[in-house]
Amino acid sequence: MTNIIEIRQLHYRAGRTFEIKQLDLNVPPGAIYGFLGPNGSGKTTTIRLALGLLRPLTGRITVLGDAIRDHAPRVLARVGYVPEQPHLDPVLTVRETLAFQAAFYPTWDRPWAERLVRQFDLDERQPFGRLSKGEKGKVMMLLALAQRPDLLVLDEPTDGLDPVVRRDVLSALLDYVSQRQATVFISSHLVHELERFCDWIGVMDNGRLVTEVPMERFKNGIKRLRVAGAPPTAAGAPFMLLAREHANGGAETWVVRDWEPGMAAYFETIGAALNDVIDLDLEEGFVELLRTFRSPRG
Amino acid sequence: MFDKLDPRSPTPLYAQIANRLRVAIAAGELRPGAALPSVRHLAAELRVNPATVVQAYHDLESEGFLEMRQGAGTFVREVAPESRARERARQASALVRQMLSEAGRLGVSLHELQAAIADEIGVGTA
Amino acid sequence: MFRVILYSQWKWSRLIVALGSVAGFALPIVSLQGAASGDRSALAAGELLQAVQSWGVLYPVLAAGLGLLVAITTWAPDHRGRHVHALSLPVPRWRYVALRFGAGTALLAAPIVAVVAGALLATWSATIPPGLQGYPVALAVRFALAVLVAYAVFFAVSAGTARTAGIILGILGSIILVQILAGVANLELDLFGRLQVVVLDWPGPLAIFTGRWMLIDV
Repeated sequence: MTNIIEIRQLHYRAGRTFEIKQLDLNVPPGAIYGFLGPNGSGKTTTIRLALGLLRPLTGRITVLGDAIRDHAPRVLARVGYVPEQPHLDPVLTVRETLAFQAAFYPTWDRPWAERLVRQFDLDERQPFGRLSKGEKGKVMMLLALAQRPDLLVLDEPTDGLDPVVRRDVLSALLDYVSQRQATVFISSHLVHELERFCDWIGVMDNGRLVTEVPMERFKNGIKRLRVAGAPPTAAGAPFMLLAREHANGGAETWVVRDWEPGMAAYFETIGAALNDVIDLDLEEGFVELLRTFRSPRG
Repeated sequence: MFDKLDPRSPTPLYAQIANRLRVAIAAGELRPGAALPSVRHLAAELRVNPATVVQAYHDLESEGFLEMRQGAGTFVREVAPESRARERARQASALVRQMLSEAGRLGVSLHELQAAIADEIGVGTA
Repeated sequence: MFRVILYSQWKWSRLIVALGSVAGFALPIVSLQGAASGDRSALAAGELLQAVQSWGVLYPVLAAGLGLLVAITTWAPDHRGRHVHALSLPVPRWRYVALRFGAGTALLAAPIVAVVAGALLATWSATIPPGLQGYPVALAVRFALAVLVAYAVFFAVSAGTARTAGIILGILGSIILVQILAGVANLELDLFGRLQVVVLDWPGPLAIFTGRWMLIDV
């Protein structure tokens, strides 16, 4: 099956310092794809490029089977988008905002939109500009969902929201995903949140996609090893060594990637002892990956 | 029942969910014939991937704890006492394994551990 | 789609449209300044024409003002959100722009109709001295065209990014600066006069703003 989002060799530049070079990205159908990366790494820019809000210098972007450059309106009719900043008319009330949106999307589900308004406990008569940050976030998610899209592109949808609102918003999202075979592309800083429900993960740093793997493989593959007596250079390792730190008493901590249980045998061959294999959660793994990506070691 | 699901734990989420359900069924908290929440409902409530819930339900179905009836929902099956006992034994082993591994990490010897157990159990039946 | 865009634009500009309509209705009436009395001599006719001409200056000002303000309120919500919402909607860009333009035009119908009504009422209820004639319809039509031309021009400027608008203002600013410096250096330079000749007197749509606006004339 073709990918829902497919980016090939994307090249974009803004100003003199920011550049996205040779970006390849794939979101499989039905995936809940978590897009991680530090501030300024280019996540929002990549999302904007994917939806045609920005023009790349070169590269091909295909969304829902169509090239976004040529068929943006057709594609966007099936995409529910929540941008990182509130983008809606501040003067319109919640009810008027819903009516405005409904006029543009033939797939709009009015009864469900009204149920979500009640579920989110929103006052329909409030102008959008006067809502609290949490309420604005709820309205934006509501709009994206009530459209019944095939693809949801969410740019830090829970950023700056309190935990209660975050739960409400994510519950509604997962409720929708459970009903439909929708694909979700969600970027966030809240790694633990993504860890709960994403089955794919892409990590961005400094304009490059550092890794793109199924979630389980990423989480299971990154480990912290307690090693003793290893020689200074460890050649021929079956895993990827990300970092190596000396603790006291000749013991070391190795951070490795693509680990599999059978690889313990390697340490005998180099005359070292593997004392412990420690699991890392997503956030720890993400931090280690970036740390070593920025200052590569041998 | 499902509070403190820990996505950071090395145990995958579907296994954590399945464990909770298995324990609840074996202990009789969930009676035979009781309806379990739909995949959609549980995924939304726990904020997990629906595939996670599906996997947990499927695992339990293959173990004979649940029955997924097309169109009607998911229901608890009548569980034989042997299965319950087996489940309790399994939970007990897991507890012991956990305790032993933690003791090892802390440098507590087997002897010290046994003494502590006798002590605690002794307190309980005092 | 047009309905919701029209509604949102009305919400933004209703005050301006309302005030503009009141002004547009009142202007022709006030400009005739109680010419209802029948006994006018030839001298009074001259006075009347003077009054009409001086008040007449306000028509292009009102037209330009309405065009500018309605154009600004048309694009205000988009500028606020940096066009993200509009660009994420499933309509081609040109179609969205056309919807916005159409909605603004529809809203401007109100002050135009107000001018028509005011001009007709003024010329009908006034006693016009012999030798003079009322041109209510011609005036109203001219006003309508002026409003639409102004709206179109300011709409085009506002439709661009803030950067485009900034560039245009920057150019105007530099022209002003050069003019000031030329004045200081005592150079014979009349940029604005030149600009005015080029922009306004050139036989194009902007010429509609120049000349006299006479509700009543010979």
